[in-house]
Amino acid sequence: MKKALPFIAALVLLLVPLGVSNQFFLHVGITVLMWTSLGVAWNLLGGYAGQISFGHAAFFGAGAYTTMILFLRFGLAPWYGMALGGIVGALISIPIGLICFRLRGPYFSLSTLAVAEIIRLVALNWESLTNGPVGLLITSLPHVSFLGITVNWERKEPFFIIIALLALCSMLAAYLFVRARPGSYLAAIREDEDAAEAIGINTTRAKVNVLALSAFLTGVAGGFYGLYFRYVDPDTVFLISLSIEMVFIAVVGGLRTIGGPVVGAVFLATIAELFRDRLASGHLIFYGLFMMLVIRYLPEGIWGRVRRALNMRR
Amino acid sequence: METFLQSLVNGTLTGSLYAMIGVGLTVIFGVMRIINLAHGEMVMLGMFSAYWSYTLWKIDPFLSAIFWIPLFFIAGMLTYRHLLKAIIPGGELNTLLYTAGLSLLVANVALFVWTGDYRTLNLPYAMTPLRPFGIAVPVPLAIAFVLASLITAGLYLFLGRTDIGRAVRATSQNPEAAALMGINVERVSMITFGLGTALAASAGVLLVPSLYLYPTVGEILLVKCFVIVVLGGLGSIPGAIAGGLLLGMVESLGAVYVSVAYKDAIGFVMFLLVLLFRPQGLFGARP
Repeated sequence: MKKALPFIAALVLLLVPLGVSNQFFLHVGITVLMWTSLGVAWNLLGGYAGQISFGHAAFFGAGAYTTMILFLRFGLAPWYGMALGGIVGALISIPIGLICFRLRGPYFSLSTLAVAEIIRLVALNWESLTNGPVGLLITSLPHVSFLGITVNWERKEPFFIIIALLALCSMLAAYLFVRARPGSYLAAIREDEDAAEAIGINTTRAKVNVLALSAFLTGVAGGFYGLYFRYVDPDTVFLISLSIEMVFIAVVGGLRTIGGPVVGAVFLATIAELFRDRLASGHLIFYGLFMMLVIRYLPEGIWGRVRRALNMRR
Repeated sequence: METFLQSLVNGTLTGSLYAMIGVGLTVIFGVMRIINLAHGEMVMLGMFSAYWSYTLWKIDPFLSAIFWIPLFFIAGMLTYRHLLKAIIPGGELNTLLYTAGLSLLVANVALFVWTGDYRTLNLPYAMTPLRPFGIAVPVPLAIAFVLASLITAGLYLFLGRTDIGRAVRATSQNPEAAALMGINVERVSMITFGLGTALAASAGVLLVPSLYLYPTVGEILLVKCFVIVVLGGLGSIPGAIAGGLLLGMVESLGAVYVSVAYKDAIGFVMFLLVLLFRPQGLFGARP
């Protein structure tokens, strides 16, 4: 029964659009699921490997731009573009990893911040490729029929199903990855990097591998962002605060848990959307506040704490 | 040649203020081993404080430094005591994340209260620049440079000549040994955090007539500040001063001779190169 629970939850999630037609509610759901996949991706590196990255917006932006450019220039349908966006994210993550992983702890974090800023400036100034600060706009999405039904891109339901599948796949990928051998490498690196190296783990390779997976998942989510909002510019998809929000969702939800980012995203992204709906801004006040409260009183995150409480009762 | 001298002068003037912010971050790092991501917000709060005391009460921003600096010193000590102290034993990554939260909180409360509008503060005597040797020197920046130099020199004397200053340096070299010598490390940390905050805020007060101010200005200043302290070696005060001046000059020369668009990228590339090849900083000895 306990084993079947995640599958039932996944099925229920995918059936939500059948029962709910309130577009605002679906929009909140889409945002929550997008942040869930981003949180899961960030958590692989930041939680399991203990490498706090402040530069994940670079992969997000690379994915978003890849998807948009492939569609606008070559007419490649955005769903293939999303996968390629992930691949581009993973590809740029390899040199970044090889450079930044020479540094440890807070120094690593600062270097990822610098790399992400360099990439943002390149995107801003490489106008022939990215259209510079003006950004890229998709005016209409191509026609798709599925089981005889034409997909209506003006409604939220199709996006909900896409991002729900994406979030579920990200969680599954993360689950399988950390349970396998590479996951144990990450635990060893997190606890004591020198000791990990001494017992023969190629720590750089292990870290670059997990970064590539994390960047792939982030890039795919970036592609989804492009598809859903149909507009990207360097100051929306390469922003430092975007990287920081990914960190917050994973930390507030619970580092080193698969369920944590879900809880973090439900908590924070819902607040964000409600604020955006009513007041236009101000949600980041709560992000900051929750971050401080969680680090002070619940260092294992909300979900981490709940899980421990459940385990203790049994 | 004239353009070169002009950008060199501009670079030195802004660089002196960068240096001051960098020194603030580096003394905090030296004593507590924490990278304070909320440092940029302290500069921002300094800027807004001077802005409001000018707009509401017509107090000259440079004059207002007399009361804003001690106030921010106290605010910094309180921040340490009530917010940070409990976090530090949790390790450096926890403090990094905690100060990231604090930074986001402060910046967005400011955004909520003061809106995202760009504001400027125009001083009546700042309209025409001085022109020694045909080089234009903006008056507010020149005054800020002089005051920043005085404050930094004052800090240097404080750390070098007074008992508390010596205690700060001792803690920064080795906290355990300092504690064994009877230094109250808690108290030293609190004073240091107050000092770092006061330096950041006074840089903000001095910068306000020369820079646009808006609630999220701290983000870009913080990133510059990292570049500076890494260039000079984290924890080194002379390094931060040299790094600040260097960044100021590289930025203004880069804007003239390389490209305005990539002016900020030069700083980041330098930052990465130094982190990778000379992690002890440009001027530090190998540990």
